[in-house]
Amino acid sequence: MNQTEPLNIPTYQKEDFASDQTPRWCPGCGDYSILAQLQRVMPAIAEQTQTPRENMVFISGIGCSSRFPYYMNTYGFHSIHGRAPTLALGLQVSRPELMTWVVTGDGDALSIGGNHLMHCLRRNLNVKILLFNNRIYGLTKGQYSPTSELGKRTKSSPLGSVARPLNPLSIALASQATFVARAVDRDPKLLQDVITQAALHKGSAIVEIYQNCNIFNDGAFAHVSERKSRDDNTLKLQHGEPLVFGRQRDKAVVLNEQLQPRVVATSEISESDLLIHDTSRDNSGLTYALSQLQYPEFPVPVGIFRALKAPTYEERVHQQVNEAKRQKPATALQQLLDSGETWRVAE
Amino acid sequence: MAYVVTEGCINCKQMDCVEVCPVDCFREGPNMLVIDPNECVDCTLCVPACPEKAIFRDGDVPVEQHQFVALNEEMAEVWELIDEKGDVPADASDWSGRVGKFEFLQR
Ligand code: SF4
Ligand code: SF4
Ligand code: SF4
Repeated sequence: MNQTEPLNIPTYQKEDFASDQTPRWCPGCGDYSILAQLQRVMPAIAEQTQTPRENMVFISGIGCSSRFPYYMNTYGFHSIHGRAPTLALGLQVSRPELMTWVVTGDGDALSIGGNHLMHCLRRNLNVKILLFNNRIYGLTKGQYSPTSELGKRTKSSPLGSVARPLNPLSIALASQATFVARAVDRDPKLLQDVITQAALHKGSAIVEIYQNCNIFNDGAFAHVSERKSRDDNTLKLQHGEPLVFGRQRDKAVVLNEQLQPRVVATSEISESDLLIHDTSRDNSGLTYALSQLQYPEFPVPVGIFRALKAPTYEERVHQQVNEAKRQKPATALQQLLDSGETWRVAE
Repeated sequence: MAYVVTEGCINCKQMDCVEVCPVDCFREGPNMLVIDPNECVDCTLCVPACPEKAIFRDGDVPVEQHQFVALNEEMAEVWELIDEKGDVPADASDWSGRVGKFEFLQR
């Protein structure tokens, strides 16, 4: 396809992204909301990125989240456990004009797929990763996952988990992901906004979505999803805006002299002491510190933590290949095999 | 797609649906609730929760109740969000299971 020619893409409706399959998750599962919000923003994403539906691909691994591709009327793979990023890499490098999404969960992405996730992020492959974090293994019926809390009682930890949980966004930031965000299944507006921004980002975008598994881990995120308490328990990150939260917007997250975050009343500090959120900070300790904030001591940050411009992996690959081709015109294969470090083994 | 509240709800308003909906898409009228089709995520949880069996997937609404698809859409724009069970009408049980309640709908 000639990428310089503007594509005349059709105007889509939400329904155009729904497949003929009836979604099968447990009634009330947070996955329904994620699917619905994604389908709602897809027409606008297609328009803004000029990506026709047939150039969109959803790749998943294994788990409840990974049923996703069946329900999207786009291309898709339901692939192998933890390996969705590897398929995405192969596809995106060979077909950079595609919009590739990875749909994964805390088990798929952080247990068996932890390695692949990290390398996908550091390479800055142009892929959008939706990580449904429900802090439990749902598909296998309720064992602790890498994000389950210390002390969590599950079928595989009847006396409470003795393992400390992983923090997906701290890992993403440390892996140099260029777009890092968090959203909540039960906050449709936030989820739609974050998904859209991720889609528009060029490079590895990861969105951790707090997802309620109402069967095996019900209410795991009630503190951030309940309408009554969410403004007091979440910190909505907005580029250029101060780190202020609370229903009355009367609390702020600041750093003390030891650069440790703490919560203060806005009335106790002057406006110039407020920290301003900046998504373009590159290797900032502050962004990492934000990812480490835990409820109930701190509000849970939601929204976009980081959004950086950087060359993508596939751009670099193609640039390198083109440059090499330009400098050295095609050589016969045999010549190539015989070149460089080859030798004969004495008989 | 979305789920739709139909006639069975009129004057019953048990509101068990409100307690279970994960995305708060019920809207409350004087004597009936509707679902905002632009908010419903099709999770199906409210269907078994409704004691009046008044909730259907839009494609499965019985023919004689078809006007409720448009009604839900229309009133969702007007009526206020309800995310907590309120007071059940005192005479709810008198109305339970009755058919032909559409004429009693208050807007
Ligand atoms: S087990 Fe949990 S995560 Fe899986 S479909 Fe059921 S509610 Fe959703
Ligand atoms: S539970 Fe059923 S009858 Fe009761 S308010 Fe909800 S929709 Fe109406
Ligand atoms: S189907 Fe789910 S989202 Fe829709 S109204 Fe019922 S409970 Fe709410």
